[in-house]
Amino acid sequence: MNTLKTLIVALVLAIIAPANAQDVDEILTNYFENTGGIEKWKNLEGVKMVGVMKMQGMEIPFEQVMLKDGKQATKIDLQGQKMTWSAYDGETSWTRNQMTMEPEKNDSEANQNMKNLAKEWPSPFLNYKDKGFTVELVGKETVDGTEAFKIKVVKDPVVKDGQEIPNISHYYFDTENFVPIVIEEEVQDGPMKGQTVKMIVSDYQEVDGLYFPFSQSNQFQSMEFKEFVLNPEIEESLFVFPEGK
Amino acid sequence: MIQKYIIAGALLCATVSIKAQEVVLKGKELFGNLEARHIGPALMSGRIIDLANHPTNSRILYAGAAGGGVWKSTDGGATFAPIFDEHAQSIGAITVDPNDPDNTIWVGTGEIWTRNSVSVGDGLYVTKDGGANWKKVGFDKSERISSITINPSNSNEIYVGVLGALWGDSEERGIYKTTDGGKNWEKILYIDQTTGAGDLVMDPQNPDVLYASMWEFRRTAWGFNSGGPNSALYKTTDGGKTWNKIHNGFPEGNLGRIAVAVAPSDPKIVYAVVESKKDKGLYKSEDYGKSWKLLNGDFGLVVRPFYFSRIVVDPKNPDILVKGGLNGSISRDGGKTFKNLGAMHSDIHDIIFDINNSDRMYVGTDGGVYRSWDGGATLDMVDNLPLSQFYHISVDNEEPYNVYGGLQDNGSWYGPSSSPGGIEARDWTRVGVGDGFRVLRHPTKQIIYSEMQGAQNLWRYDIAKNQTKNVKPLKVKGKADLRFNWNAPIAISEHQPDRLYIGSQFLHVSEDQGDNWKIISPDLTTNDPAKQDKESGGISKDKSGAETHTTIFTIAESPLDEKTIWVGTDDGNVQITTDGGKNWTNVVENVPNLPKNTWVYHIEASVHNEGTAYAVFDGHNNNDMNPYVYKTTDYGQSWKSLVTDDIIGFARNIQEDYENEDILYLGTEFGLFITIDGGKNWSRFTNNMPATAVHFIDLQKKTNDLVLGTHGRGVIIIDDISPLRQINQATLNKDVHFFDTKPYVVTEEGGFGGGSTELQFVGANPSSSAQIIYYLKKRHTFGKMTLSIEDMAGNEIVSLTPGKSKGINIVDWNFRTKGPKVAAGKTLTFGGFTAPRAPAGSYKAVLSKGKNRYETTIEIKNDPNSIVTESERAQQQKIAKALFDDMEELAYLVYRIDEIIKTAEELKKNDPKAEKITSAVVSKLNDLKKTLVVTTGDNYVNEAEPELREKLSELYAEVANQFETPSAGQLENKAILEAQLDKALVTFKTIQEKEVDKLEKYLAKNEKPAVTYKDKAAFLK
Repeated sequence: MNTLKTLIVALVLAIIAPANAQDVDEILTNYFENTGGIEKWKNLEGVKMVGVMKMQGMEIPFEQVMLKDGKQATKIDLQGQKMTWSAYDGETSWTRNQMTMEPEKNDSEANQNMKNLAKEWPSPFLNYKDKGFTVELVGKETVDGTEAFKIKVVKDPVVKDGQEIPNISHYYFDTENFVPIVIEEEVQDGPMKGQTVKMIVSDYQEVDGLYFPFSQSNQFQSMEFKEFVLNPEIEESLFVFPEGK
Repeated sequence: MIQKYIIAGALLCATVSIKAQEVVLKGKELFGNLEARHIGPALMSGRIIDLANHPTNSRILYAGAAGGGVWKSTDGGATFAPIFDEHAQSIGAITVDPNDPDNTIWVGTGEIWTRNSVSVGDGLYVTKDGGANWKKVGFDKSERISSITINPSNSNEIYVGVLGALWGDSEERGIYKTTDGGKNWEKILYIDQTTGAGDLVMDPQNPDVLYASMWEFRRTAWGFNSGGPNSALYKTTDGGKTWNKIHNGFPEGNLGRIAVAVAPSDPKIVYAVVESKKDKGLYKSEDYGKSWKLLNGDFGLVVRPFYFSRIVVDPKNPDILVKGGLNGSISRDGGKTFKNLGAMHSDIHDIIFDINNSDRMYVGTDGGVYRSWDGGATLDMVDNLPLSQFYHISVDNEEPYNVYGGLQDNGSWYGPSSSPGGIEARDWTRVGVGDGFRVLRHPTKQIIYSEMQGAQNLWRYDIAKNQTKNVKPLKVKGKADLRFNWNAPIAISEHQPDRLYIGSQFLHVSEDQGDNWKIISPDLTTNDPAKQDKESGGISKDKSGAETHTTIFTIAESPLDEKTIWVGTDDGNVQITTDGGKNWTNVVENVPNLPKNTWVYHIEASVHNEGTAYAVFDGHNNNDMNPYVYKTTDYGQSWKSLVTDDIIGFARNIQEDYENEDILYLGTEFGLFITIDGGKNWSRFTNNMPATAVHFIDLQKKTNDLVLGTHGRGVIIIDDISPLRQINQATLNKDVHFFDTKPYVVTEEGGFGGGSTELQFVGANPSSSAQIIYYLKKRHTFGKMTLSIEDMAGNEIVSLTPGKSKGINIVDWNFRTKGPKVAAGKTLTFGGFTAPRAPAGSYKAVLSKGKNRYETTIEIKNDPNSIVTESERAQQQKIAKALFDDMEELAYLVYRIDEIIKTAEELKKNDPKAEKITSAVVSKLNDLKKTLVVTTGDNYVNEAEPELREKLSELYAEVANQFETPSAGQLENKAILEAQLDKALVTFKTIQEKEVDKLEKYLAKNEKPAVTYKDKAAFLK
């Protein structure tokens, strides 16, 4: 149930045509050029994702919305109860308490981190220099049995327990298709703190000219997507903390 | 004629194309997502070499292990996580760049407390991102790096002290300096090929002032020498251009290892602990090393300098200093007097103080990291560092099987390969003390043999009676004194369960579990008196027995013929008898390209052929770091090397596969290597497998689990390697290949685990699920891929998340089908998350990839140990199914109620005239609903009184989860709840016929949309 709180879908962009990438910027330039064009990604206003999350033997249908300005919301269907489990309206992020099922505001650090997360959408690599992120080609490595470019991205630090800590992710781009197939992130708290969680990314399919991975899984849970809706019409109220409820 | 050419040409093409298609997969391409799991243990942890602080963030600490890599704590030492798994795991020094402490950390590999069993390093590494990525900087042949010192105002200026090779001459030692951040290095202090840098410290106020202790030392397989005319303490005041000996006040004559420290708060005060024949002890200088005064020669300060030459001064108080040692010593009067640190694991190698509060200290020992909050008086062990250093492991045949093994300075233990809630500290049982080595389980009795350092004890431990007897063989009249290796070999016969072998220089055999012994060989070693040094140590005598040489090290009785016994000795003899010990032949001369007297580390007698055996030789203690692995098929008359360039590090152990002769598992100083083609190609196994030294490998025969005894990361297991046996060219050329699997057992076990705290290491359990194991020729990236379990009629039971990796993929199925659709209420009902188990039988695993469909059959079966009968089981399944259907019937009822209420309320809102009709519907239905599901409260202590859904789901979950036939009480409850459900359905029907009917008529009359809801099948879909 805890992982419900961290229901995060990383949006990963795809590349179709391979290129002879020499350095990280070449890989990324190709990557955007070949996925419907960097302009199309820049113009993307938001995505609604519909799918099923599998964890601990449960299948939980969900619907997640992420907008360019950072707003996001995750609706789930638990035993027939459909509810917005967590959301962020650009100022306030909140999650439902597992005991009362009532919404509660996230702590100030989580809120701050959520605010920073907005920059990463739809991809931390999109205009990464403007965002102040640094990107580095670490080298070639074999992941999932496949040779890949290992690209490190250093994003805005996250705040945890009163301290800023570095925020590093590694993306592995398949050298044949130039598509990220594995994303590694460090666990920041809990019993697995300091360990790396590997997310397997696959089942890329085209949606209105852009490619999305329809399957994302790690050792705890997997998400199988049924649908991606680009630039959806969304009521603002979806994201807002339901006061007085 | 022409036709012939064409045919020949076609044949040629065919051969070429077949050859071209030969697929050789290496490493992760082959192993895919076949992963190792770590079971620890961590309760005794392992040897720590070096600790390091972050200079400004007291939450961050680093620990470097003897064989377990670098670990980082971000919570002030409460827990640690590994950050260096891909590189040499033997650590000498860790230094955080004071100018960029969040990101830049330097690690020198190769431990520096040079006991006989030390591992080796392979150079200097740096990370620029806090440990996420590491780059090797060089010093490939340094073997051991003792110190890294960085100018606190210039990160480009770094000094590295290289202790260097332990087992031979080497020029890559001394003090090195870079002024460009590590691109170029200059050797600025070098004595000779035998003398390395033991310690290097910088004056915290003047980066041009450094103190360097140089140490002359050498180890052989049979002795150790510390000290000589080259050992000395040097100082530079010009950044290393010139060095001068600073011995004014030091003892005369040859010196040994010297520890040195500058008081950070008052750098004119320098402490040195000097190893010397005479006047050894703690020296203090109050004038920057110009002159020295002997203050103290207590045992705690001078004991075993090669192991404990570390002195640390409190960062704030120059009078508080701590010395590594057997117990560790602390002085609060500037070194005049010392007392022991508080009780903890013995053998203290490093101590650091918290940067803000000197009462907080961290200590690195032979048994892990300890932390103190009261200035070293009370010590608390870090419980999540699984750094145990096994010399040897073995497994038994229990279910689950146990792993047995002995550890460096941490006794002998056994523990289960699986335990409820994970393998916890409390699951391990001690079966020996001191340095533990070989531990073997009697094949048929509740008896464990456990051997302690140099066969000082060979315990026969009766598990059931908890009785121990020392059964080690003693000297025999008319024979020489017995010489036992520190790691003396014992072996159990595969043919006679009570037969036990032990090797001294002779092979001893007992037919009665060690009560009586018989010598069945002559001295099988070289018996070279030059290698029987009894006065080892050099300046400080160090007689632990660890250097006893010219001994037997490995014994292998052929599993096919009890008269054929192989013996390997530490001085390089491979002896074989084929008549039970009457005649012995030394066949080592037949081994090609093997340096003379290379230690025979392991002989594996094959299960495939009587004359076949494997021998692994380890020359590292002769300064030869090459792997030597050989196979004979003719009783040692000829040998073939199995070594290729794929193998990294000298080798210690080999395990053959019991079924496929071409599969071999090799343990080296830097990890595990596997061949599936008889040694033509080797692949390093790196999936959750650190580059740690693998000292011993066993293959569990029932489970096909490969069990590794590592010297620094505990026991690591790769579960069920049998898919490797099915890999061949035909397999590798298929797009998708399902591996055959044995039937999976639905284990009927309950029990509780979870007795550990959050800060304790808990070892991973094996999968208890059925597994779908397949090979993918290519990683699946584009398009949809699914994996589902179907019954044999093709109905989907459950859908799984498939692995997409190239190579081997393993997907777990926990035997569960889909859970029921649950009635919607205000809160959750946890029983509703229960999915019924699939009954025993055959199932199809169906993999869809684009338009292609691939399938295989897997078998699941009931627990053979079950006490549940077939008819009871059928009854359980029947009742569980009935309750499942009740759950869904109720869900559908509540769904319909909700849909009708929704329509009614909608109408009520828009059409006030309908008020009477809608209110009646809403009120009646809500009254009914309140009896069906909870409509108030929360999931915790404000829980509402349970209604039908809650009661039904609890009973359903109970019955679905149990294996036994439902009890009379359960059946009675089922009847009560079903009566309620039936009654509710009747009530609903009545409301439908009356109130809802009125509503529907009203809607029809007013041409509004009718009440609609899905039919049951659509709802349940």
